[in-house]
Amino acid sequence: MTIAPHSDALASQVFCDLTVVDVSGSVATSYASKLFADYGASVINVEPPEGFRTRRLKPMLSSGDSAMHGYLHTNKYSVLASRSLFQDEPVASQADLVIFDPEHLPNTDYLTDIAINTCAVSWYGLTGRYSSFKGSNAAVHALSGLMRGIGTVEGPPVIPPGYQAQMIGGLSAFNGALGHLLAQRLGNLKTPFELDASILEANMCFTDLGAINAYNENPLPPRMGINRFPPTYPLGIWPCKDGWLGVTNLTPGQWKAFCQLLDLAHFADIELFQSSVSRLESSDILEPEILQALARHSAEDLFYRGQAMRIPLARVPTMEELFTVDQYVSRNAFSQVQIGDETFAAPSTPFRLFAAPPHFGGPVAALGAHTQQWDGAP
Amino acid sequence: MSRPVRPLEGLRIVDLSMGWAGPLATRNLADMGAQVIKVESCERFDWWRSWEATEEWIADNGAEKSPQYLYVNRNKQDITLDLEHPVGRELLLKLVATADALVENYSGGVLPKLKLDYPQLKKVNPELVMVSMPAFGSTGPWSEFRAYGSTVEHSSGLPHLVGDPDQAPTMQHVAFGDAVGGLNGTAAVLTALWHKQRTGEGQFVDLSQVECLFPLAAPGILHQSVHGQTPQRFGNAHPDHAPHGVYPCHGDDAWAVIQVTEETQWLQLQAIIPALLEFGDLDERLAKREVIDACIGAWTQQRTASEVMQTLQAVGVTAAKLNNGQELLDEPHLKDRAYLQWLERDHVGLQPHPSAPFRTAEEPIPITSPAPTLGQHNHAILVDLLGLSTDELQQLEQQGVVGTKPRMPSGKSAT
Repeated sequence: MTIAPHSDALASQVFCDLTVVDVSGSVATSYASKLFADYGASVINVEPPEGFRTRRLKPMLSSGDSAMHGYLHTNKYSVLASRSLFQDEPVASQADLVIFDPEHLPNTDYLTDIAINTCAVSWYGLTGRYSSFKGSNAAVHALSGLMRGIGTVEGPPVIPPGYQAQMIGGLSAFNGALGHLLAQRLGNLKTPFELDASILEANMCFTDLGAINAYNENPLPPRMGINRFPPTYPLGIWPCKDGWLGVTNLTPGQWKAFCQLLDLAHFADIELFQSSVSRLESSDILEPEILQALARHSAEDLFYRGQAMRIPLARVPTMEELFTVDQYVSRNAFSQVQIGDETFAAPSTPFRLFAAPPHFGGPVAALGAHTQQWDGAP
Repeated sequence: MSRPVRPLEGLRIVDLSMGWAGPLATRNLADMGAQVIKVESCERFDWWRSWEATEEWIADNGAEKSPQYLYVNRNKQDITLDLEHPVGRELLLKLVATADALVENYSGGVLPKLKLDYPQLKKVNPELVMVSMPAFGSTGPWSEFRAYGSTVEHSSGLPHLVGDPDQAPTMQHVAFGDAVGGLNGTAAVLTALWHKQRTGEGQFVDLSQVECLFPLAAPGILHQSVHGQTPQRFGNAHPDHAPHGVYPCHGDDAWAVIQVTEETQWLQLQAIIPALLEFGDLDERLAKREVIDACIGAWTQQRTASEVMQTLQAVGVTAAKLNNGQELLDEPHLKDRAYLQWLERDHVGLQPHPSAPFRTAEEPIPITSPAPTLGQHNHAILVDLLGLSTDELQQLEQQGVVGTKPRMPSGKSAT
C-alpha cells in the first residue's frame, strides 16, 4: 500500500507501493528506512517533540540543522508523534513495515495489537543476557571482535569512529525486512512478521571467520600492529613521495609484479616469498626496502602503473580528495542533500538499479512538516 | 514470535561470484531459503578455496577444507562448468534461463569476453536480475581496476578517519570492504527482485564496493562537505564526551570499552570508582581526560574484562569487553541466542556456522546444509533440472567440461 507518493516520478520507483514508518530514529533504524526511501518508498518518521536523535548529530550546518540527519533522512516525511496518532488513526496501521529501536520504544504492544510487520533493530537482539545492556557503536565493535585487531601491538586497540556498527545493523535490518516483505508477496509468508535484527550479529560479518578459524585450531595471532593483518603481506597503507598508497599482495603473480614495479626484482623469484604467509613472517627483511622504494615515487603514479600491471593498489584519498577522484565524480558517488536553503554533498546509494534508479540526494523534511497531511500529499 | 520461515523459498539465484563479497551476498539469500547454484570450474574454482593452489593441495583435498570457503557457501548447491567451452557456456545459458537472478564479481571484461555479459544473458531470460559487484562499479575510468576487500577500504578514504592523528591512516580489517560489499549485494538483489515481482521487469544492477563504504565514512565526508576541511582524528577519545576509551583489564591483551555519554552514567561510575569523585562536570572531564583515564585504568586492571562489563552495565554505564575469535566461540550471549549453528561436512567434520543476523523466532533461521563440495550437484542440476542425459554428463566429465576435482590450470599463472 502507499500513503502518498512525493511526486509522479516516485510512483514508478521500486518501492512506490511500500509505506515504511520509523518510530525511533536511531542511526540504525534511519539507515534501514533510508534505503527504502532511496528507492521510492513512502517513509514516515514519527518524531517526538524534540525530534529524532539524529537531528542532534554532528556535523551541523550554519542553520543549526544536522547534516548527518539530512543524509539519513532525504525524501522522507516527518510527522510529530502524538498518542492519538498511534492509537486512534495510527500511521502505523497503514504501514507495510514499522521499524523501531526497542531501547527507545519499550512499549510496542500496540504494534502487535494491529498485526503489522515490525522490525526491531537493537544493539544485541531482543533475547539473550545482554539484551538490556547499554549499547554503542564501540561496544558492538568490542564484543564482535573487530576492535581487538586494530591498532598497535601494545594497545590499546582502536575504536572505529562514527556510526559504522549502526550503519551495518541498519543495512542488515533492511535485508531482513525486505526479504520477509518479499516472502509475503511470494506467498511464502501469510502472516505479519516481527523481525528481531541484532546490530551485534550484523557486525559479526567481519569477525565470524576469526571464530571459525579459532575452532579449527588456526586462531588469528594477537594484534600485529597498525595496518598489519594476517595472512597477507605486503598489506597496508604506506607513505609515498606525495601521498598514501594502499598495498595488497596476495598471489605469487601479484608479488612478482609488485617487485617489478618498485625495482625490487631481487625479491621477486625467491621461493620463500611466493607465499603470502611467508612474506608476512619475513616482513622485517622486506619492509625497509619496500618503504624506501615507495618513497621514491608518487602514489598516483604507482597506483596507475600498478593497476595496469593488474596489481590491486589504491590511492588512499583524504576526505577532501574524495570529492575530486575521477571515478567517483563520474559515477555521481556523492549527491546533494538540501535542508532549508542549505545544501551539502553526501554519499549516494551504493547500488544502482539501471531500470529503476534511486534518488540521488534530495530534500529533508523539517520537524513535523507533514503532521497535518500525514495521510495525504505533502 | 512465530516459527522461523525461509522467506525466499522458490527463488533461484545463479552465483558466479568468488572470494568473500559476492559469495556472502548470495549466502545471505541462501540463508533466507533461495536456491543458490554456485558455478565454478575445475580449473577456475573459487579462489577463496585457496589463492596458492598446488598439486599437493589438490591431492590432499585442500579445496574442501578452507574454512573461509565453507562459511560463505553453506546452504548453496555447486556445479562445475568450463565456461570457455561452448557446451559449458551453453549449459550456463540454459541455467540462467530458469533463474530469477544472477550475481557475479568477475574482474571487468571477463564476462564480455565469454559472451556472458548482461546483454547476452538477457536474450535467454529477459526478466533476469543481474547484479554485478566490481570494486569500483561497472562504469567509469576505474571500472576494470583490480581490488580486494582491503583495496576497497583503502580507496574509500575511511582510514583517514580512524586512529590517532600522528599515525598512518588506519585500516580496520584485513578485508573490510568484502563484508560490507556482501551485505549491499544482498540488498541490491532483493531490491531488484521486489521490482521484478511488482513489474515483471528484470534489469542490470551495478554495485560499487568502494561506494558501499562511503556511508560508513559519512561523518567525515559530511564534515568535509559542510566545513571544507578534513575532520580531526581523536583516537579513542571523543571530542564531546569523557571518559571514553579502551582500558586495560586483568589478563593478557585484555581490554574493555567504557563510554560515559550522560551525566547519570558519570555519577554511577564515580560511585563505583571513588578515585573519580574529585572530578566534576563535563568541561573538567574533557580537560583532564588523561588523568581520569589513568584512574579508570588502575581500576580496570584489577578486574577481568568481563567483570568490568558486568559491573558497569549493571548500573547503566556503557561498557563491553573486547572479544577475540576464541572468545566469540564461548560468548555466553551468543550462546543464549544460539547464534552459532553446527553442521557436519565431509572432509572437515563438525563446523560452526554464524546465523543470519535477523530472525522472526526465538531461534535463528535454520541453516540446512553445509557448503557443497566442488561439483557436488552436477547431476541434480545438469541432469535433473536442465535435462542432460547421464551419458552426456559422463561425456562432459571425460572432456573436462565438468568434474568434481580441481585441476591446476593448463599453463597456470597466478591470478
